[in-house]
Amino acid sequence: MRNIATLLLLGGLSFLLLVITGGLLFGNPPMLIGQGIQQAAPTEVGAANIVTAVVLGYRGLDTLGELSILFAAATAGGLVLGSTRGRSGRPGGFILRTGVDLLFPLMLVAGLYVVMHGHLTPGGGFQGGVILAAAFFLPLLARPQESLDHTWLSVIEALAGSAFIALGLAALFEGRAFLTPLFDHGVLGALVSSGSLPLLYLAVGLKVGAELASLLVRLSADDEGAS
Amino acid sequence: MTDVTLAVVLPLLGAFLLPLTAHRGLHWLGMLLGPALLALAALLLFATWTAFESPYAIALGGFAPPLGITFYVDLLGLLFALAVPLTSLLLWPGGSDEAAIRQQSLTLLLAAALTGMALSGDLFNLYVFYELAAVASYGLAASSATGPAFVAAFRFLLISALGSVVTLLGIALIYFKTGTLNLAHLATLSERLADPQGLAAFAMLLIGFGVKAELFPVNAWVPEVYAATGKRVAALLAGLASKLAVLAVVRILLLVFPHDEARQLLLLLGTLGVLSGELAAWQARDVTRMLAWSSIGQLGVVLVAFSLPGKAGLIAGVTVAMHHLVVKSALFLLADRWGGAVDRLKGAATASPLGAALFVLFALSLLGLPPLPGFWSKYLVLSGLAEAGSGMQHLALGVILLGTVIEGGYLLRIITRLYAAPERDIVPPAHRFPNLFASGLLALLLVAGAILIDPLWQGLNTLAASATDTQVYVQTVLGGKGITR
Repeated sequence: MRNIATLLLLGGLSFLLLVITGGLLFGNPPMLIGQGIQQAAPTEVGAANIVTAVVLGYRGLDTLGELSILFAAATAGGLVLGSTRGRSGRPGGFILRTGVDLLFPLMLVAGLYVVMHGHLTPGGGFQGGVILAAAFFLPLLARPQESLDHTWLSVIEALAGSAFIALGLAALFEGRAFLTPLFDHGVLGALVSSGSLPLLYLAVGLKVGAELASLLVRLSADDEGAS
Repeated sequence: MTDVTLAVVLPLLGAFLLPLTAHRGLHWLGMLLGPALLALAALLLFATWTAFESPYAIALGGFAPPLGITFYVDLLGLLFALAVPLTSLLLWPGGSDEAAIRQQSLTLLLAAALTGMALSGDLFNLYVFYELAAVASYGLAASSATGPAFVAAFRFLLISALGSVVTLLGIALIYFKTGTLNLAHLATLSERLADPQGLAAFAMLLIGFGVKAELFPVNAWVPEVYAATGKRVAALLAGLASKLAVLAVVRILLLVFPHDEARQLLLLLGTLGVLSGELAAWQARDVTRMLAWSSIGQLGVVLVAFSLPGKAGLIAGVTVAMHHLVVKSALFLLADRWGGAVDRLKGAATASPLGAALFVLFALSLLGLPPLPGFWSKYLVLSGLAEAGSGMQHLALGVILLGTVIEGGYLLRIITRLYAAPERDIVPPAHRFPNLFASGLLALLLVAGAILIDPLWQGLNTLAASATDTQVYVQTVLGGKGITR
């Protein structure tokens, strides 16, 4: 009975959505904000990657919000999973261990590259941070008896998050609005350009990386504790 | 330096830094950090409130609206924003172990998100803060770490996730049709949304934000979560978080959807909320569930009030919302140790005379006994409905009156148990001092509201006059004056 009701609800909902989207005029939607930003961003922000200009410039507060949402989810996860138990398990085989040893530096470089070039090429703090987290988690798959130092992870996480806010507050203390980009724009497309945006992305990358790494460690520890 | 953005940013900073104090020797700092930052945020907002002259907008990041995100500071936003740090401070979860620190972090995140919702002038930014508040609420709902709490939090998560997806679809629909997200900019384009698709978009936003506002079809999580978590968390969610979700809906209604159909939809769902909430509360056998269902009914009244057009509707809505914030928070605090069946409350008044007396005071104000503020708030709603005059509004009026009668029935049921003779000398436990103290403060606030009715009325009138004036909002944000960059 319950399944039928759910099915009816879903059917009705998808029918409604189809009717709504069916009535929309596709082709040339009004692009008031989109066009405005495309015209203003190169001179106003100075980031070659316009997506970054939006993410960290025009909508920087939303990014701080997203960062906080991830932090809230990790904190809530920590609350549910409890404090970490010891890790156990047999070490991986030769191929796994050697592969991880080879991959670790490469992933570290790739992650940092994606973070540092966020204002120039596709990518940025969130994407690079995930690569960094995976880089630090891989060795734990090969050598389960070792563990990452949680104290360090939480210190990096806290300081990186605070650095993002501090960069915003610095603008406030100069008499400008919160999160106004600092410093000169520099040359469009150069590595050191678009003011404080790369610094913001570095903070995002470190925070996301540390957060995800500690969440992965926590999840894997609990998994093995249960089995 | 009285920039209101600090009221959002400081609690966020505190939440990020708080986990560091879990390490040796910093416990004292951890105990102080959260309350100090919340007090600072409250002071800051209070200073802005007292120095307030005319509404202004803040262009965050220095990008002129409508391209960048704006904060809009007016009396309505400031009133709700000020309520956030004050209530979170009052309901602050103490403690210094690892779990307590996590819970405090989440409380700070919730406070930051709710303050942001009160001030934000951008549709998507509103959604981001709403999402942050939602994720922090899941964590808080699970924070008592019992089996039922996990189940309740998980169900809350599922319903809320559905709401988030629906909201996002609604925002996408609005963006597709107008090409902008800034509320002031949307206000100038609102005739583009005056068609069935626009109404559908409003319905989606209403359902989405409604999950936290305990709106009628999406409130199934409410009784379960409030029964299973700590009562301070329940007070925070029922009293505070729901009001900010309502404020978001009201801002969107006033600025983006000034059409009659949107108001009718709000009125309909609000009326159904009153009816279903009060009837379910009548059926409930357990004090917390009863209060939870009753809170659904009360929020129905809030939504009905805000569905009234013009100044009268806004004044009525703000009054009912603020009254419910004070009363429901206090009632949950007082119900802290009164879990379980209503019949087990026999003799509670002998164990905790002050607590029982406060409970009676708040219950009577909730019912609307003059001269308590509850009477005035209900009177404003009912007279507004009677004046508005169409069939739907008269129906809502009847439903609210019926709801009040039912409410009287179940609240008196609790009160008679409180003052009944204890059975077999089993007396319910007395109140803990912090809860009694916090609800005592709220009682003072309630009594002060009853005495200062005249200045409050004046203040509400100026508040409503500027909040309902769409032109002022649009001029302030897009006209270029009143913007600080």
